[in-house]
Amino acid sequence: MKTIDLTLKIWRQKNNDALGGFETYLLRDISTDMSFLEMLDVLNEQLTAEGKIPVAFDHDCREGICGSCGAMVNGIAHGPVKLNNLCQLHMRAFNSGDTLVIEPFRSRAFPIRKDLMVDRSALDRIIQAGGYVSVNTGGGVDGNAIPISSETAELAMDSAACVGCGACVASCPNDAAMLFTGAKITQLGLLPQGQPERKERARAMVTQMDKEGFGFCSNERECQAQCPKGISIRSIARMNRDFFRGSLFGE
Amino acid sequence: MIHNFDTVIVGSGGAGLYAALEASARSKTAVLSKLYPIRSHTGAAQGGISAALGNVEEDSAQWHAFDTVKGGDYLVDQQAAMILTEEAIQAVYDLENRGLPFNRTPEGRIDQRRFGGHTRNFGEGPVRRACYAADRTGHMILQTLYQQCIKNEVSFFDEFQVVDVIIEDGSCRGVVVVELATGEMHIFAAKAVLFATGGFGRIFKITSNAYANTGDGPAVCARRGIPLEDMEFYQFHPTGIMGLGILISEAVRGEGGILRNRDGERFMERYSPTLLDLAPRDIVARSILTEVRAGQGIRGDRRIDDYVHLDATHLGKEVLDAKLPDISGFCRTYLGIDPIDAPIPVLPTAHYAMGGIPTDVHGRVVIDREGTIIDGLYAAGECACVSVHGANRLGTNSLLDLIVFGRRAGQHIAEYVKDAPAPRPVADADEFARAWIDRLLDGADGPHGGAITDEMQVTMMEKVGIYRNKADMSVAVDQIQELRSRYQTVRVQDTGSRFNTDLLELIELGNLLDLSLVTAVSALHREESRGAHSREDFPERDDDTWLKHTLAYLEGDEVRLDYKAVDTSIWEPKPRTY
Repeated sequence: MKTIDLTLKIWRQKNNDALGGFETYLLRDISTDMSFLEMLDVLNEQLTAEGKIPVAFDHDCREGICGSCGAMVNGIAHGPVKLNNLCQLHMRAFNSGDTLVIEPFRSRAFPIRKDLMVDRSALDRIIQAGGYVSVNTGGGVDGNAIPISSETAELAMDSAACVGCGACVASCPNDAAMLFTGAKITQLGLLPQGQPERKERARAMVTQMDKEGFGFCSNERECQAQCPKGISIRSIARMNRDFFRGSLFGE
Repeated sequence: MIHNFDTVIVGSGGAGLYAALEASARSKTAVLSKLYPIRSHTGAAQGGISAALGNVEEDSAQWHAFDTVKGGDYLVDQQAAMILTEEAIQAVYDLENRGLPFNRTPEGRIDQRRFGGHTRNFGEGPVRRACYAADRTGHMILQTLYQQCIKNEVSFFDEFQVVDVIIEDGSCRGVVVVELATGEMHIFAAKAVLFATGGFGRIFKITSNAYANTGDGPAVCARRGIPLEDMEFYQFHPTGIMGLGILISEAVRGEGGILRNRDGERFMERYSPTLLDLAPRDIVARSILTEVRAGQGIRGDRRIDDYVHLDATHLGKEVLDAKLPDISGFCRTYLGIDPIDAPIPVLPTAHYAMGGIPTDVHGRVVIDREGTIIDGLYAAGECACVSVHGANRLGTNSLLDLIVFGRRAGQHIAEYVKDAPAPRPVADADEFARAWIDRLLDGADGPHGGAITDEMQVTMMEKVGIYRNKADMSVAVDQIQELRSRYQTVRVQDTGSRFNTDLLELIELGNLLDLSLVTAVSALHREESRGAHSREDFPERDDDTWLKHTLAYLEGDEVRLDYKAVDTSIWEPKPRTY
């Protein structure tokens, strides 16, 4: 089994009101088969044994589905491996002697709660603004009788793969949440069930996005590059189209 | 702080959100979650939701119900199984109407695929019954339901951890909750409370369950005199990734994946000649462990962590990429292998609790063999036991259970709260919870919980796992009791009040210990083998003595056992062969 030694510089902050700063920790003999979060577990065991407060970080399923985890590792959301959530990043991506700078997902719209944990409820509020189908397409069997092509279903599904981790926001120089919002709008906008409210949905969700303090897209494409689910910026284009239609022509 | 609602739902997975969706149509509804709703573990369900739509081949709800009963080794309540499978069809259409992107057939209809234990015409051969959205079916259901709850203006209280339920004069009055962000205690007074807190796989060392799956609902109820039903039936999923427990969906076998031992032999041919690799999960898990114990695992060292191969190399890149993209990703990520080139090393992993809080078909909590209910107290989903899974759940029936019984409970609640008395504040309702939390936080010298958690998980895995016997389980019960007394000395090391993850973990550990005890005692006393409960010292099913549900009452440090009848009104129990 291969092991490596690491220097960690981790952002520690008691809560959103407190001042934060980097603390440095040394970790020895970390197996390269470990996941990144397991490495943090080892650190926390070490800290607990020393009577110090462990590093708070969000995690739950540890298999890339729940979207809880996330941090900037050397400035990259979810670390250097593409199409990974942080829990899926493994230590084989690093070399002995590396220094890892670990910071929370930063954004005006994501207040820090503690250490690496941030409050991403702004994303939920964007969904609340209109990210749903409220008009029923009909009773029972009708649903199955609306034929949807496999290709359309597939495209809708690609957008629906978003787990709401916030990596798109954290990696955007403008703090934009457009990939997130675009993905939600695209999923519903592609399906017949989502048609009746399509324009109003885009208008409402984009408005809420602004209200939360997220920035605007300047086509840097960092979000697409770092999205763990590989969601394409084409969903932003779809959102913009629906939004402009919604604002220019109304319902 | 005291909050007043008509309906309080604890848990925001599939069952909780569906119930909230129904209840909120007619009552002021709050959903409490220790996470954020879209992070709930329903999202991890990969393979599908079964319903006899008959879209790709002939199927019927009755066949589906029969499979469910037989899969559950006849410990299933049969009328409940009929409700499950008949309402399945409408449930899938409802999800579809609300924007869930199911996979489609070339004609544009909802596509369906095979899953273990699902057969045509009462066991003749596999049937395509599972509707799916790639291997993200649970994720899609969760997103869809969350969107719908938001539309209905459900009040969400995220990162609120339940610690107690308030029951007075035979009716439920609310719950006591800790707000994780501040450490503050809240009382939610309500006419109706529904527990939908999910599973408790974290009692075992190797599990597919998320860290949050700590059985908070069942543990809270058990401490308030509510029995837990059939806790000895815990499903081990046959194919977890070696060493991690992360699940490789049954869908891989549904699409044609094959299990092989060290000789490359398709060993399921010997254990289940008809259904082969798609036999029900308990059978496949035991078959794998039997191979491993016989030295036929890949390493061949007969150790409990030896493994077998799940071979998908012959399926082709197209099938893997189109129908199982997450699985391929998992293998690349966690194992550094590509399932197109190499077989996947797998071993059984603790996956699903068939047992839980006993309920009737409306989700009402039942507290004894006579079927006495507590007014206003409901449970649904994995934390509940209707019982539609009996001694062993079929794949894709869990998502179905959430949707069907989450919805039924929500509908019943919506009716019940119309005439129910307004919630009355109960004096000192938070007394018990406060004493517990205050002790954990009092700053006295005491160990943290990590070592206890680890010992509990290892004990349960080794001694109350796939194969069980009296000697091992007796030791396990003693060990769990010893850990429970050590738990009385643990203290939170981080005494800050905001986002105290240390405190949360200790609350969860208390719950896991109580559930471990109830599980071990229930298993020790059931002297037969049935479904997932497999006794080396009692290898046969014994319908004369044991065709009955266990009701386990946690009374302080003791567990008292009672039993209730199984509904076998449709199909006579028969030997279970595939």
